Amino acid sequence: MGTGEKVNRGLKALEEKVFGRNLCAFCGACLSLCPYLRSWKGRVVKLDDCNLEEGRCFAYCPRTEIDLDGLYQGLFKKSDEEIEMGPIKKIMMARAKNPIFTKKAQTGGVVSALMDFALREKIIQAGILTPRDGDLLPHGRIIKGRKEILRCAGSSYVSGPTLEALNRGPWKGEDRIGVVGLPCQVLALARMKTSKLEKKTPIDRVSLVIGLFCTWALDYGPFTAFLCERMGGHSIKKLNITPPPERMLEATAGNESYRIPVDDIRPFIRPSCQVCLDMTAELSDISVGTVEGKEGWNTVVIRTAVGGSLLKRAKDAGVIETRPLPKANLNHLKDASLLKKRRALDALDEKGGIEKAYFSLTANLIKRILSEAKGIKT
Amino acid sequence: MKSIAQNAPGKTVLLMGNEAIARGAIEAGVRVCAAYPGNPSSEIIGTLAKVAEEMNLHVEWSVNEKVALEVAAAASFAGLRGLCAMKQNGLNVASDFLLNLNLTGCRGGLVLVVADDPAGVSSSNEEDSRIFAKMGDLPLMEPANFQEAKEMTKWAFKISEELGLPVLIRSVTRVSHARGNVLLDELPQSSPKPRFDSSRALTAFPALPNHKILHERFNRAKKVFEESAFNFYRGPEKPELMVVTCGSGWMYSLETAINLNVQDRVGILKLGTTWPLPENLIIKHLKRTDRILFIEEVDPFLENNVKEIYAQNCLGLGLKAFFGKTSKHVPDVGELNPEIVNHAIQNLINISYEPRPTEYALRVHEAAAELVPARPLGFCAGCPHRATYWAIKVALTLDGRDGFVLGDIGCYSLGMGPSGFGQMKTLHAMGSGTGLACGLGQLDRFGLEQPVIAVCGDSTFYHAAMPALANAYYNGANFLLLLLDNSATAMTGFQPHPGTGSTATGKEAPVIDLKAICKVFGARVEIVDPFDVTATVEILLKLLQEEKGVKVLILKRECALVSAKHQKRLYEVEVDQKRCLGETCGCNRLCTRIFKCPGLMWDESAGKAHIDEAICTGCGVCAEICPASAIRKEAA
Repeated sequence: MGTGEKVNRGLKALEEKVFGRNLCAFCGACLSLCPYLRSWKGRVVKLDDCNLEEGRCFAYCPRTEIDLDGLYQGLFKKSDEEIEMGPIKKIMMARAKNPIFTKKAQTGGVVSALMDFALREKIIQAGILTPRDGDLLPHGRIIKGRKEILRCAGSSYVSGPTLEALNRGPWKGEDRIGVVGLPCQVLALARMKTSKLEKKTPIDRVSLVIGLFCTWALDYGPFTAFLCERMGGHSIKKLNITPPPERMLEATAGNESYRIPVDDIRPFIRPSCQVCLDMTAELSDISVGTVEGKEGWNTVVIRTAVGGSLLKRAKDAGVIETRPLPKANLNHLKDASLLKKRRALDALDEKGGIEKAYFSLTANLIKRILSEAKGIKT
Repeated sequence: MKSIAQNAPGKTVLLMGNEAIARGAIEAGVRVCAAYPGNPSSEIIGTLAKVAEEMNLHVEWSVNEKVALEVAAAASFAGLRGLCAMKQNGLNVASDFLLNLNLTGCRGGLVLVVADDPAGVSSSNEEDSRIFAKMGDLPLMEPANFQEAKEMTKWAFKISEELGLPVLIRSVTRVSHARGNVLLDELPQSSPKPRFDSSRALTAFPALPNHKILHERFNRAKKVFEESAFNFYRGPEKPELMVVTCGSGWMYSLETAINLNVQDRVGILKLGTTWPLPENLIIKHLKRTDRILFIEEVDPFLENNVKEIYAQNCLGLGLKAFFGKTSKHVPDVGELNPEIVNHAIQNLINISYEPRPTEYALRVHEAAAELVPARPLGFCAGCPHRATYWAIKVALTLDGRDGFVLGDIGCYSLGMGPSGFGQMKTLHAMGSGTGLACGLGQLDRFGLEQPVIAVCGDSTFYHAAMPALANAYYNGANFLLLLLDNSATAMTGFQPHPGTGSTATGKEAPVIDLKAICKVFGARVEIVDPFDVTATVEILLKLLQEEKGVKVLILKRECALVSAKHQKRLYEVEVDQKRCLGETCGCNRLCTRIFKCPGLMWDESAGKAHIDEAICTGCGVCAEICPASAIRKEAA
């Protein structure tokens, strides 16, 4: 700035750079930290001004001045060299063996089974998951048992402030926590972990991060307004998106079933998702997603020793079974991940230049992403 | 000792101007006194209420000024003497009845005291009520000191009876609220038996003959006023400048003439009967000089009316120069003071005298600023309105549709300022928030997407908002009315009202239930305690989300100043210094920077909040908003 004026890295900056630019991912990292921010119907709402120069709201946000290279260094002790989909220790297909998990799950039930296992084995004492209310609004919740886990299974396609539950607690004793989150939430957790600000958050208790693959999430307000209009005001009971190539949103409301092309709901994708570089939750211990063409199976990416050990123990205990991921699927996954990165970079370029983006990445990495993603068919 | 009721002729007592007016009414044998409270008039009826039993008076706080005037006029119709008091805004409310009453006339003496609030110190507006006297051809008097306040009131009853017209007395804050010596007269020993003369109907219709009768009465008033001792001239035979003044302007003018030592150069024509003006008296004194300065509160009432008399009679008077509010020698807004009068007179007679150097005032300001912390107008510690506006702020912000609050008159008008977090966006007359909501609550059909909220106090609801609520239901308006029920007419001094269970004289009265009224008007009604902030926010959000119709939320919590008198505090409140986050991330002084209850203090050196035990009323609301649970409340 040159004038000696201090750069604000508090709520003021968050308001300007995130809320003002409609970049909020609604991850919940800034919520329940202070009295000034509150979530309401799919939005983070600022209740009053805070004049602090530095704040955790800004420091933890996955859309503010992130030194991505530094973050990868801090977490994995290495740079983001594996540009396609982040660090991979091992990658495989997996599914839960107990049908209780696969029945309700979107695919293989691995996330539910792993959380259930981690709780039973006392690897963690609590989990942070994301159930939905009757009105489709997801929110974070502290869960401690199987029943609650099962209530959180499946997807609502709408982002919710999961990390608020982590911040809010209450936490006591030596409780360790496992968090299941979207890539933006996993990124926020990584920022919490590496933040130099005085910690009054329970991030040190987080000993397991399970990341979910994500291409985009919908903005609750406009999306539900759209559904409400389409469905004549009936409350929506169930939502599902059929796998490609069909890609239809199936909804049940009242006594009727509706099928809506996914393209019709694209306008409700959060703008924040359009500038997201991460499809596979690269900063997690273990990432879980679908496997294209293999119904009932999950793709599982082990990224850290913690993730590796959990999977091994769960497998040894007969909780999940694994199979190698076919090469074609791996290639396809890498392509999809790279494509998301390239699209984000393109979007940022359009929005005023990558150099002004919410993250910093070495010029070399940006160049590699752009060139390697060039040949991918969209 | 109740000096107001003592039968001690010849005794001098120290009375407030409003008490002097009340005493004047008692000496005149008043029987029925009614008012709606409003500063600076409230002590007139308040004082009479205290001696009502002893003096065998009927004294009441009526629901509004129009009803109050009707109650007092009714006594007059039955041959008794009636007194009504109100502030300037009140006369606007009462004016519909007044401007028919002038045409029917009255029987027993009827005096209407209107206390104007120049500069609107405790009012929503600045208004000169005297114009109503002119509008209604009604006699008007303006006391200039405390003795006059008593004497004039007493005389006004007599004049009223003689003319068959209500008489207006216009006071101003500095007459009503200052104190001075008053010489008492004896009290009347008897009062006529009331009887309504049913042989002649009292009706303004047909208007023309009644209007003609009114003018005849008005002309008789003019004659009586020509001889009034309340009008007099003091000064040299041929002054360089003549001040024409009335009310508080008399004292200011006299003080200035003495201070400037120009009593031989400046004369003062002091008028006590200001409508109709004593024309002959004025013409006589206009002959003294060709330079005339008007000193009066608020509007150029004397100024314009004297000019009118001059225009009508100018052939015999020669050229005159008139100075005052029109010529800008006197400010045309705000309250007068001796300095303003001093300045005007100096200017006009070309002398220079500075009662105090200009920079002295600046120095006083500077010195005071260091010693006296700046305190914006705000709610008391523990005021339920602060909690209410906090909840409104949170609910409207979360709701996110730019909803807004339409308000009116009461302590809660402070909701426009920082202690109400700037939530209230309109302030006009009593009940106007609800009336405006009736209109804004119709605009959704034209595309208005913002939620509409009206706030209204309990006393104001009985006063003027009930018709608006009936209108809302009848015409299908969509809004949320928040009834801020603090069980008091708090802003004017805790006078009782139909919801409090007692009358002006302390007698038990039936309680008119707000909830029941609103339900009868077709509204959906909920009740919440604003001290329960979470519940209040929740129910506000719920009601805001609901689609159509009139919804009423009663926020029930007694005024903190009232409860302090009869119940112990709810909570002992303290700040756990270890838990208090102070200015750090996670709080940043929410309680002392944003919530700002005066019961909370910020200890700058420790960087922590404290409870000011002398001020805290123990409402416990701050404990609910503290993000670190550092503020703890325990049942007291």
